[in-house]
Amino acid sequence: MAERYADRAGFRTVYIKEAHPEDEWQMDSNEEEDVCYRQPRSLGDRLAIARDFTERFDYPIPLLVDGMDNGAMHLYSGWPERFYIVGADGTIAYKGAPGPHGFLPEEVEAWLDEHPPAAAVPASADVAVEDTAPVS
Amino acid sequence: MCSRAARIALRLVLTVVVLALGWLAWTAYSVGGPRNLLGMWRYDQREEGNLRVGDPAPDVLLTALDGTTDSPLLADRGDKALVLVFGSFT
Repeated sequence: MAERYADRAGFRTVYIKEAHPEDEWQMDSNEEEDVCYRQPRSLGDRLAIARDFTERFDYPIPLLVDGMDNGAMHLYSGWPERFYIVGADGTIAYKGAPGPHGFLPEEVEAWLDEHPPAAAVPASADVAVEDTAPVS
Repeated sequence: MCSRAARIALRLVLTVVVLALGWLAWTAYSVGGPRNLLGMWRYDQREEGNLRVGDPAPDVLLTALDGTTDSPLLADRGDKALVLVFGSFT
């Protein structure tokens, strides 16, 4: 998605507190997929897991790591996973629901489809309006 | 009379044993690996949050993967939209 919509949006991942660490609410799927980590107690722990993640999936999207005060997670209520879109004007343009059920890439794609880059808006659009305007 | 007292005592002992076993099972489940409903009850932190569409996006200082570079969440956006993906490995 990031590559497909690169002409109209940047993408950034915020790596936050683990959702299903083995010392908290571990899921069967974590064990099946060998994703077993304890909840980080330091920024170094969190960075190490984030690096494992990016290396395992050759993750292409720029990634920043939340501090141990979980500042970004709290500001954006981002746990366990969530999408937002910040518009070019710096305001929240799209707010997804919390995951897993509200984590919907198709909603992000729909927003991006509806907001093409300015250069992609046909220049003829204005002309068409003028052409159909009544002559006074 | 003795027989009745013995039956009551036996019931009490059985009740205590059953309660103790239940407590042990609960403790083992809680400590050893809380999952599903119990895990959700203890660790679910999902919340809708106060941000609304149209609000200014709040910025916050984060750390790059190299562990030494601090970077504002909203830095270098240019004139395009920015898709934020919050998540973790597990």
